[in-house]
Amino acid sequence: MRPTQLAGAALLLMLVLAFPVLVNPYWLTVGILAIFYAIVTASWALLVGYAGQFSFGHMGFVSMGAYCSALLVSAAGLPIPIGMAAALVLSGVVGAVIGYTCLRMHGPYLAIFTMAFSEVFRIIALTENEITGGAGGLEVTPLFHTRSDAPYFYLGLALLAASLGLMSWMTTSRWGLFFRAIRENEQAAAAAGVKVVRFRVLVFAIASSFAGLAGAFYAHYIGILTPDVGSVDQMGLVVAMAVIGGAESLPAAVIGAIVVEFLVEALRAYGEWRLVLFGALLLLTVRFARNGLLALAWEQVLRLGPVRERARPARRPAAS
Amino acid sequence: MLNYLLVQAVNGLVIGVIYAVIAAGLTVIFSILKIVNFAHGEVYMMGGYFAYFAIALLGVPPMAAIFVAMALAFLLSVLFERTLLTPLYSPTTERKADYGILATFGISILLRNIAIIAFGPFPLRPPSFFQGVLVWGPIVISWDRIFAAGAGAAILVALTLFLRRSAWGQALNAVSQSRESAAIVGINDRLVYTLAFGVGGALAGGAGALVGPIYALSPTMGLQPDTQAFVIVILGGMGSVGGAIIAALLIGLSEGMFVALFPDPTRSLAYAQAFSLLVMMLVLLVRPKGFFGRVHLAME
Repeated sequence: MRPTQLAGAALLLMLVLAFPVLVNPYWLTVGILAIFYAIVTASWALLVGYAGQFSFGHMGFVSMGAYCSALLVSAAGLPIPIGMAAALVLSGVVGAVIGYTCLRMHGPYLAIFTMAFSEVFRIIALTENEITGGAGGLEVTPLFHTRSDAPYFYLGLALLAASLGLMSWMTTSRWGLFFRAIRENEQAAAAAGVKVVRFRVLVFAIASSFAGLAGAFYAHYIGILTPDVGSVDQMGLVVAMAVIGGAESLPAAVIGAIVVEFLVEALRAYGEWRLVLFGALLLLTVRFARNGLLALAWEQVLRLGPVRERARPARRPAAS
Repeated sequence: MLNYLLVQAVNGLVIGVIYAVIAAGLTVIFSILKIVNFAHGEVYMMGGYFAYFAIALLGVPPMAAIFVAMALAFLLSVLFERTLLTPLYSPTTERKADYGILATFGISILLRNIAIIAFGPFPLRPPSFFQGVLVWGPIVISWDRIFAAGAGAAILVALTLFLRRSAWGQALNAVSQSRESAAIVGINDRLVYTLAFGVGGALAGGAGALVGPIYALSPTMGLQPDTQAFVIVILGGMGSVGGAIIAALLIGLSEGMFVALFPDPTRSLAYAQAFSLLVMMLVLLVRPKGFFGRVHLAME
């Protein structure tokens, strides 16, 4: 890394760490929600962008983790960290089960199956209102009893850093190679010795457990949990975030999530038009820049870079 | 109790016919373009609103409004196909199935949210085709439902005739069997893709227009029939119109029975939806190719 890059990274880190001090409580809330969406989007990108397992049920796992932790804390009286850990484990186990049962399914079949799974969970959460509070919402014990939301921000940031670090490590290791091999061609991957069954179940379990953890964090932050978390529209928002950023790269998906979440709030005055805008942006990105807008922008930067470097040695002999 | 069951069974069959029209559209699109259209329910929703506004603003008679809805849904689908689905036909596009999922899912979000802005979140109810109810022994059923079932059946017959007898229908069938061979005998496959997506959309739009007077129209009305149509298409076998019709009647009937027999009446309607989703998940697990699927139309 060059010194300028290092300085830029340090400056960015300082800006991020100082974020709760720099902004008012409203934008801090937006920042925390952006972190929540970033974790969800990154895990969806791992599942869909890397491993090619098209799932529209990811928000179902978020919702499951949220309800699991909320109910364990309020009904069973467990401490919140244990509730969140339980959410992580439960979502991971259910994710593994779903991944295992879906082994024969690909593409649209898998998408429909997972969407149906998440809808069934949403309907149950909506209908069993004695336990879940139904559409009126479930009151969730807050994680911190502080006046400012800053502790949530730092916890979220830590969770994001940890999950992103773990997922990046996974995707840059041999596992990432296996995931991409499965995405491109399952038969060929199996023929080359990739344990397709093991890695398909594994990626489902890992992505779902991150989703569940993010859901638990969201529940204990937001305070009122409704089944809408797992709705198709929420899934659409996450898909838009991942695709606009670039679903085939974890950092791009994270940046996409953060940018889209801040845009959603900044454009609040436009009300319903925002979702139309993001729907249109999703379609345009899919149609014209499948690797995401960020990758497109990055490509431009890279294209400019070498040109400058090539130009420099050419000028030197002329000057001497 | 028996009478109630009978009424539920008749209602279930009526809805089954509507489902069959929606699912037939989905399966026509699938068999030609080889994609699952996630925006199908939203085109159905738009069809309902097209009919409503044709009646309310232009004074079109309710029955003629069905044709208006079908024509506009056809045009809307063609527009989307021409602008957004063309990469499906390009050899340079990687993972076309994924592209189809993302593009149609994006269209569904776009249409649903445009509908919320344009038509408002409140339910709208177009005027009836026929006022009143039919009382026939223990069975009480509104004329609207009878008309919807009759018109739905007529649309299905027309579709079958179109697919079997017309040159265009045979071209659709040829492309569904083999794109390359169809191109060799001189079928313009680009035109056939557009036609298939348009016809599929028109069927969904017609179903939306028929359902308007029975249930009110709302921007989110497409979500449920969308999943329902998936159940039916998978149960009936992707690409099989006949299978879709049989499966649709079965699903409609079993849904009516489920509502009638579920022990807790306050929850029966909510769980009816979950029930058909669970049926679909089970079918996907046990028989992913459905019961009547054509072999050459298998997805992978």
